[in-house]
Amino acid sequence: MNQISLVPRHPPPLPVSFSGDRGEFFRLVARGAGLELITVGFYRFWLATDIRRHLWSNTHIDGDAAEYTGRARELLIGFLIALAIIVPVYLAYFLAGLEAERYKAFASFPLLAFFYLFGQFAIYRARRYRLTRTVWRGVRFWMSGSGWAYAAQAALWGLLMILTLGLILPWRAAALERYKMRHSYYGDLQGGFEGRAWEFFKRGWWLWLLAPIAFYVFPLAPFVYGAFKAVEWRWWLSGIRFGGVRLESTMRRGALIGLYWKVIGWIVVLAVVFVAYLALCAVLVASMSGAAFNQFFAPQVFSRSVPLLILAGLGYLGFALAINVVMRVYLLRDLWVRVLASMTVHHIEAAANVSARGELANALGEGFADGLDVAGF
Amino acid sequence: MSLFSTDSGPQNASASSGAGGFAVYFDGTSSRRRLVTLEFNDRLEITEYEHTLAAWSYADIRRADSPSGTLRVTCLAAPALARLEIRDAAVAAELISRCTQLDENIPGRRGVARIVGWSLAATVSIVAVVLFGVPLAADRLTPLVPQSFERRLGDVAEGQVKTLFGGKVCDNAPGQAAFTKLVNAIRESAGLDPSIQSVVLSSPIPNAFALPGGKVYVFSGLLAKADNADEVAGILAHELGHLKHRDGTRNLIYNGGTSFLIGLLFGDITGSGALIFASRSLITASYSREAEQNADTFAIDAMHGLGRSPKPMGELMFRVTGKEGDRNLSILASHPLTEDRLARMSREDRPPSGPPLLTAGEWASLKAICSSDSKI
Repeated sequence: MNQISLVPRHPPPLPVSFSGDRGEFFRLVARGAGLELITVGFYRFWLATDIRRHLWSNTHIDGDAAEYTGRARELLIGFLIALAIIVPVYLAYFLAGLEAERYKAFASFPLLAFFYLFGQFAIYRARRYRLTRTVWRGVRFWMSGSGWAYAAQAALWGLLMILTLGLILPWRAAALERYKMRHSYYGDLQGGFEGRAWEFFKRGWWLWLLAPIAFYVFPLAPFVYGAFKAVEWRWWLSGIRFGGVRLESTMRRGALIGLYWKVIGWIVVLAVVFVAYLALCAVLVASMSGAAFNQFFAPQVFSRSVPLLILAGLGYLGFALAINVVMRVYLLRDLWVRVLASMTVHHIEAAANVSARGELANALGEGFADGLDVAGF
Repeated sequence: MSLFSTDSGPQNASASSGAGGFAVYFDGTSSRRRLVTLEFNDRLEITEYEHTLAAWSYADIRRADSPSGTLRVTCLAAPALARLEIRDAAVAAELISRCTQLDENIPGRRGVARIVGWSLAATVSIVAVVLFGVPLAADRLTPLVPQSFERRLGDVAEGQVKTLFGGKVCDNAPGQAAFTKLVNAIRESAGLDPSIQSVVLSSPIPNAFALPGGKVYVFSGLLAKADNADEVAGILAHELGHLKHRDGTRNLIYNGGTSFLIGLLFGDITGSGALIFASRSLITASYSREAEQNADTFAIDAMHGLGRSPKPMGELMFRVTGKEGDRNLSILASHPLTEDRLARMSREDRPPSGPPLLTAGEWASLKAICSSDSKI
């Protein structure tokens, strides 16, 4: 029993670290993608939960790992309830759109604004669900505030975004983040956001100028987007406070660009494999059908071959799932690791004796976010 | 804190039950990190400075998520977030061997099988609803939709049609007179009420369609391809058939329902857009082929009622589309193949027993309905 004194007494030098195994995460998402296919998508609730559990429980802050206590069943129920609410809303939307169209053709587009509002509400409530399922040292995070108040703010800022062609983005982000963090708590420790919009603007304005060029010059886009995400992450993390606890990120501008290129590279490889598979299937089906080759490859016959269409559909599914796995490994797991690696926590002792507070929020927000396709993690 | 390691904890534990060890304990009411000793007695005793903080019975202990190399457990009887973290493999093994229901909450292989089973059941039920329920609902709901609502739908669609096709109406006086005569003849033969509006639009596209609420549009491109009045009459009768059957409204209900259910089915698999589109077009196409067949039946009956043959209608359609079977997969087509429709009309061919629907002069006026100088 002598080795027992291995229990660490002092936090390791790196306050935030990640201990998850990449191979394990890959197996998790690969298996999840397969099950998603078999269950025609219903497995997504379990997969999302497993991904979060993996990422959360391998994230160590001051030597103690966090924990995700959400369960897939909650997400499923949230989704079903959200569906029961969204369906009548869609119907009402349809009828209102009909009236607007009668007044003037294509006049129903402003009604899309309503769904933007609804989407923002969902984003807020989904964040609330995730936060209340996040536990560190036996105390949960939680959130107050109103989803609709947040949605109204987000919509007004969204309007200004359109008017200023996106130049106002740092001010929008700062204002919305202040609202979210002011209403976030760790136990009885209230959150706050001290990131200043001007800092964000100073670090990223040149990306705003490059964005229209990147839109037309494809190879530039991953650079511009990667740099933007790095600037955003660094600014966001460095602004977060919980009581006296202060986060800081030292992420370099180029830290994420490689990830995006790797994803693009994999998609190209997978596309080549997919095309090769299609060609192989075509040759195979042609030789089985017994028809002369040049006769079979005449476009009319070609597009009517049912076995070929089925094989192509299966190949397409495999292709889509593989891309899914690649995106999750690089843009969820690797991104998460790089963000954590850039992060340090100051004055963690302020969180040494925090009293537990806060109620669990329901997963309705996640359901809406899923139904409206605005889901985050 | 260093006092702690010189404590008598481990010795005590080994004396009483042969095992014990250190762990990190969070009591679930505060974030205070406590280094505790564990004593494996008839319950798990969690002790700090010889003061027992908690005693958990082994049957209530459950595993919680943890990073690899750490065993993290909680207890059903303790506050929900109380956590005990054991990093020593030997102590962890000792605890695991005592807790019989440690992994009760972790979804295992059977859990996954259940998810798959329920998903398949949900899929089967959604497919059944799409194939049988939605058509039935569309059939039952359509008669309940008030005419005024249909007219609104028609107004909306009309606005969009006019925006898309320029919306230039062809109505020079002699042409319009001939067109009205033709429409009225078919309408009366088919027993439709006179509220139906029919218009010729100037467009090179050879087509005709009906909008809900009683509007029939014929593009001038179709008139240009037509050789005689019976051909146009057949097409008009077909479109009036759609109106009589209220196919526009039925399609709206049907398409809305299937889109929604199929979207629900495929949910969130990224890149499933193509799949949704493919299965949706397969299913709605078969439904719309049926509606087209019924409208053809209606047109055949209407033409027979007027003592005219439906065959010219098939000939006009064949002239417009050509032979279709070579080009498309028939299960994807929204209409029956034109050659099949022509074959059907030819079977229904009868020598004319009624008077011609339009005189030669009227037919010439109709052909020229779009020319701006109304004198022929």
